[in-house]
Amino acid sequence: MNKKKSSIFSGMLGNNIVLSSLMVVSPVIICGDTLKNAAALVYAFSAITFLSVMISSFVPTKLSYTVKIIIYAIISSFVYIPVKLAAQEFFPGAVERIGIYFPLLAVNSLIIFRSEAELYKLPKDHMIVKLIFYILGFDAVMIATGFVRELFAYGTINGRIVDVNTPVIGLAQPFGGFIFLGLFCGLYRCIRSAVINKKEDIRSDADVSCK
Amino acid sequence: MTKTARKERFIWLDIMITLVALELMSCFYYGMRSAVLGGICIVVSLITEMICLRLMSRRFTADDLTCTSDALIIALIMPATMDYKIVAIACIFAVVAAKNVFGGRKNIIFSPAAAAYIFVLTSWEKMLLLYPEPHAKTGIFDEPEGLVNSVSYVYNTTGKMNHTDFELLMGNFSGPAGSVSILMLLIAAVMLILRKDISAGAFMGTIIGTAFLSYIVPASPTAKIGYNFVTNMVIFAAVYIISDRRIAPKRQYYAFFYGLFIAVFSYVIVITTGKENAIVIVSVLFTPVSLGIKNLEKKIDLARSEASEYATVNISTDAKYDDESEIVEKMEDISHE
Repeated sequence: MNKKKSSIFSGMLGNNIVLSSLMVVSPVIICGDTLKNAAALVYAFSAITFLSVMISSFVPTKLSYTVKIIIYAIISSFVYIPVKLAAQEFFPGAVERIGIYFPLLAVNSLIIFRSEAELYKLPKDHMIVKLIFYILGFDAVMIATGFVRELFAYGTINGRIVDVNTPVIGLAQPFGGFIFLGLFCGLYRCIRSAVINKKEDIRSDADVSCK
Repeated sequence: MTKTARKERFIWLDIMITLVALELMSCFYYGMRSAVLGGICIVVSLITEMICLRLMSRRFTADDLTCTSDALIIALIMPATMDYKIVAIACIFAVVAAKNVFGGRKNIIFSPAAAAYIFVLTSWEKMLLLYPEPHAKTGIFDEPEGLVNSVSYVYNTTGKMNHTDFELLMGNFSGPAGSVSILMLLIAAVMLILRKDISAGAFMGTIIGTAFLSYIVPASPTAKIGYNFVTNMVIFAAVYIISDRRIAPKRQYYAFFYGLFIAVFSYVIVITTGKENAIVIVSVLFTPVSLGIKNLEKKIDLARSEASEYATVNISTDAKYDDESEIVEKMEDISHE
């Protein structure tokens, strides 16, 4: 039971879609250079993905795989329209700054592939929880990336100047994003494997003999 | 200690000797600040390397001192007045992101110093491309004043050279701390080639490629071919970055073309865009070429060893070859096949 529970919540840490599966990395690398961009992307990704996957879950499973994928893409494209209109109200200028990566979120791999391969095979309540944790995993990475890159590249936090006297402008550029995300992934995998090894050690050290 | 490990250490030692000589020349022109810059680079690189090796659960050995030669190269391709923090960041980047992320000393795919240079170029371009005049010595803790564009910049944009050949040879012109001492660099190149510390093929490829294009497509009607060697760090990059034996292909034939292509592309970039020190950028961009050639070399070696094994087995079982020359011919035939 515990194993099943942890697999549902693993989307946030243990099986993060960005750091573990390297899904939806391009917006993180290209646009995740400031907190404002990160916030806009978090909103767009969360809204589009959650609504699209929820609506798509009602598509009959009997349809062929190709037809289902096309229907998912159409649904997410429809969801994208109100999400974009709302983004223009809540995050003025963000849609222009993010550019092509904003509409590309409508066909992200979590909606198109992971949902079909994993989420729709679960009971509805488990699916919703798992989806939320997948989305939270992406959001956490996006915010962390935006925060660190903005701080070290521009010397600001959410547009406010802080005392960083040697800003590394290269970190705001796509190649800086690649390097940062690569190091972030490495650190994440290192911590994850350490945690897994520790758990295995505890399990193997556990005394199961009856005295 | 194995023969290869000993060889690796001797290569490092030879390279360090030539780099220290360049550092001394830099001290002569730009004062003690240049030496301090080199010292900071070495210390930061060493500490970072130790931390990285510790994180990878490896022991720090004498072979890992190669990070200090990369550190000195970084110090020498920057202006002597560069901010200490920036060179420290560059060294950390070189050791962590350009070296240890790819597996460390034995898996280097591009020059860590060249990668660090590009990193600094993207973040602090103005600081990197403004240099002090020779003999205008800046104190160790003083703010640099009277910085000017390099001779490379003037030559790339106007095609004119305002220095005598003697000044150019002695390094008496503004530019990166270590890459302007042309005479010293030529001596270092000869010494390192004779001691087989750098790839002679890659070095010759770079020099011949630059010379050929300088002759065919001169920067200006009055430009001498030699100007294209003294500017844009061509000789420095040819010796310490392109001909680095850790990166260049092993066979001289392939290494020659590797160097030649880098020289040709960088010259085209310089001529068309006026981009300063393009050769360093191109050397990193040519990483896939180097890796591809190395893979090809490995395949050739494997095929040869398999062919010779096959030939030996065939000959030993074949009784009709009595004469030794016939056996050699047979082996060659099979190798060709």
